[in-house]
Amino acid sequence: MSEEKQNPSCPAGAGEPTAVRSSAPIWIIVVTLTLLFLGGIYFDHHSGWLNPRVYAPYDTADQLEASQPKSGAAAAMAHGKGVYETVCGICHGADGMGKPGVAPPLAGSDWVNTKGFYRLAHIPLCGVNGTIMVEGKQWSSAMAAMGAALSDDDLASVLTYIRGSWGNKGTAVGAEDIAKIRAAVGKAPAPNTGDQLMAMPE
Amino acid sequence: MKTSYGVFFAVLAALGASWAGFVLGPLIQLGAAQQTTVLNSTDVYPIQRPGLAAMGAQVYRSYGCAACHTRQVQQTGISFEVVLTSPGKDPVTVSNLLSTLKLTALTKEAADTAAKTLTDAGGKTETHLSATGADISRGWGSRHSVAADYLYDVPVELGTLRAGPDLANIGQRNPDANWQLVHLYAPKAVVKDSAMPSFKFLFQVRPVGAAPSPDALKLPAGFEAPAGMEVVPTAEGAELAAYLLSLHADAPLYEAPYTPATAKP
Repeated sequence: MSEEKQNPSCPAGAGEPTAVRSSAPIWIIVVTLTLLFLGGIYFDHHSGWLNPRVYAPYDTADQLEASQPKSGAAAAMAHGKGVYETVCGICHGADGMGKPGVAPPLAGSDWVNTKGFYRLAHIPLCGVNGTIMVEGKQWSSAMAAMGAALSDDDLASVLTYIRGSWGNKGTAVGAEDIAKIRAAVGKAPAPNTGDQLMAMPE
Repeated sequence: MKTSYGVFFAVLAALGASWAGFVLGPLIQLGAAQQTTVLNSTDVYPIQRPGLAAMGAQVYRSYGCAACHTRQVQQTGISFEVVLTSPGKDPVTVSNLLSTLKLTALTKEAADTAAKTLTDAGGKTETHLSATGADISRGWGSRHSVAADYLYDVPVELGTLRAGPDLANIGQRNPDANWQLVHLYAPKAVVKDSAMPSFKFLFQVRPVGAAPSPDALKLPAGFEAPAGMEVVPTAEGAELAAYLLSLHADAPLYEAPYTPATAKP
């Protein structure tokens, strides 16, 4: 370093510039920390904590959850469609037309288009054994009880869906009514025969 | 130089912070994204584009459509609407309430209050959710675009300039294949003041053979092919039209909920 040529624009005696330590002004530190703090508050309120499903205008996962359209007949029908397609549709068909030799049709069936749903609700809750007449045809395939795997809300939604789809004209089914019928039939109900079902009130 | 370590670590920290923010953060947030289901349904979303449309995505890319068209719908808010589905046992009280209550363009809290007032009076209500914002009111979509809309897009062509309208839902806005083809062939034939250049090179004007081609464009008056000729899309033209028809990102999802018009009774 000492062998370097003298810079003509920097006369001797002015001294070599040297790097020295000096502390940053305190106000810069204060401003930086304040900005970080405010940024943290904003992040906390608006980011949904990097939840991949939270987008603006939603700020938090809770807010998004609360905004989900859940109430109403449309939601019950939509939920019922989901349950139907995973549980019932395998045998009864996504279009409710049934499968020859396996399951009777639900579309336009007298069993579905009833005034009440007391009798209808017993079919998925308890299952069916023996023969059953649907639309003038005799079906002798047994149906297992589906009630245990489905909640009252699932069952009510799926019955609402069945009674409101494919041209069927049945009223909506409430989860509280299903709860009552479920309590009445007990935990492990025996499957009904067609005649037993017909003896029930609609 | 005794400061060189300091400089090295300062640069490392600065680059590392931006890498973490722009690469690592999004990867952690969205890297595991996969097919999801449509809200209140068992339908999966999104689905892969069918073959012709998948090839059309490359045509869309190669002609730089994204230079003038975005594929992202923005949303600034949500609004709730309370709909009376049944007046219940006391229709007079409910109808009196209906005339006093504000039932549209509500916040979540106001909608809950209004619904509770009506239910307490014996009526049955439904709450409908809809997205709001400039893009929504232009009719460009029913909800904002979310990451799931682009799950199978490589590369994602969001676009940044809107010299033309947004195309996120063009396949749903105009499901007519002939309209899409005519618009590519001669934009002014269907949109009078269109600034879009004509993509005539995606079409072949050829003499009508023994029988007119079933693919021939049905052109409006003033834009017909010369007598004895017909306008037929080339392979690229058909692919691009198939791609445009495949663009509809409007399924209600958990992350972008809204009540679709078809679900409304």
